[in-house]
Amino acid sequence: MRIIGPDYLVFGVDDLEGSRTYLQDFGLKPVQLDATGWLYEALDGTGVVIRHRDDPKLPPALQTKNMLRQQVFGVEDAATIDAIEAEMSRDRRVTRLADGAIEFQDVLGFELRFQVTRRRTLNMPAEKINAPGAPAQRAPNELGVTDDVPALPRSLSHVVLFVPDIDKMVEFYTRRLGFVITDILTGAGPFLRPAANDDHHTHFFIRTPAYMQGCEHLAFHMGGPTELMVAGDRFTRKGYQSFWGPGRHKFGSNWFWYFNSPLGVHFEYDADMDKHDDAWVAREAPNGPEASQVFLLQWREKWAPGGGPEGGAKG
Amino acid sequence: MASLPLCHRDDIPEGAARGFLPLPDAPRRVIVVRRGTRLDAYMDACPHYTGGTPMAWRRDAYLNGEGTHLACHAHGALFDIDTGACVSGPCLGRKLTRVALTEDQAGYLSVPAHVAGRAAREE
Ligand code: FES
Ligand SMILES: [Fe+2]
Repeated sequence: MRIIGPDYLVFGVDDLEGSRTYLQDFGLKPVQLDATGWLYEALDGTGVVIRHRDDPKLPPALQTKNMLRQQVFGVEDAATIDAIEAEMSRDRRVTRLADGAIEFQDVLGFELRFQVTRRRTLNMPAEKINAPGAPAQRAPNELGVTDDVPALPRSLSHVVLFVPDIDKMVEFYTRRLGFVITDILTGAGPFLRPAANDDHHTHFFIRTPAYMQGCEHLAFHMGGPTELMVAGDRFTRKGYQSFWGPGRHKFGSNWFWYFNSPLGVHFEYDADMDKHDDAWVAREAPNGPEASQVFLLQWREKWAPGGGPEGGAKG
Repeated sequence: MASLPLCHRDDIPEGAARGFLPLPDAPRRVIVVRRGTRLDAYMDACPHYTGGTPMAWRRDAYLNGEGTHLACHAHGALFDIDTGACVSGPCLGRKLTRVALTEDQAGYLSVPAHVAGRAAREE
């Protein structure tokens, strides 16, 4: 099944104005969908849809207070939609929408929608680096960083879910929707990617009690580690609360920086994630600080050596 | 008992919450919520994960959208403002750590000095 990954994640929030400011400051562009809904999009058109939680246009909420209402997946073609519809219709209700998309619930009641992807093809360079022994990636006089680097989220990368029954979820997403497990953090859960996406993961499941079911975080790909640092630094300076990072994960190799949000989930900037094909054999490591990251740093105010000894020079 | 000045009661608008650092380099803020004459103070440390993690989504944004509960904006846990008890979300059954406030006659608030080192628990 030629599933690419999440095009949009839909949220029903209790603080609509705060959420709108947050998403804009995070670097996403608002597109008004109708009188009560907004898409905040990354450069390729993927992104986050928000409405007030009482908006009747939203799919039903989970039993928990989690604000995630729906995952909208992009697929390569209409034939994939038909194939998913046929497979899902075997044991659940599937709704076909006027625009050709389909909706149904997964095995734990997460609301899903599948559409032929609306993402735009990006054509822009990755962050370039120079290193001894390798051909220079930047031309002479081409600068590595300036104060005005755009550092905007390029694409919706992945979503992490709190799930009460990992086995059922893994079975459903692998056997029924063709996802592949790329790595496993024992005690937490598996990383997965869909068949038409070579990113290390578009999904990660974390085992939790039923009262926690929902979204843990979502992430956007940046153009490289510098863009991630610049975006996170600017976001922190605007008063937003860092939760974890910056650092670099082991599984997936992606740089990360997580922030709290009024959507009740973490928003992550990520960069430089590994790519995999079907030859890859999943690794397994016990969940914990060692397996989670190669290194972890913490933001601080800008500072520079200088100014002389406290109280002025002596003698 | 040694104590640290935190803020003045009027630094916190009616019905709002604010976070204050007990020392400039303290690892955690102290949240103060003001409702009428009542003041409640807790460590800015959600009990969901070991060591506790900061709860606002933006500076001083500690309440849920309706302003009825303290909220952790990491995973949406809601806490009763009177007791600090988690009433919904991942840390159900746990509590925020209450901080004892002392108020002088002019309305200045202070906290026990040990709260500035609370993240010694952190690992
Ligand atoms: S860290 Fe506060 S709810 Fe998870
Ligand atoms: Fe992530």
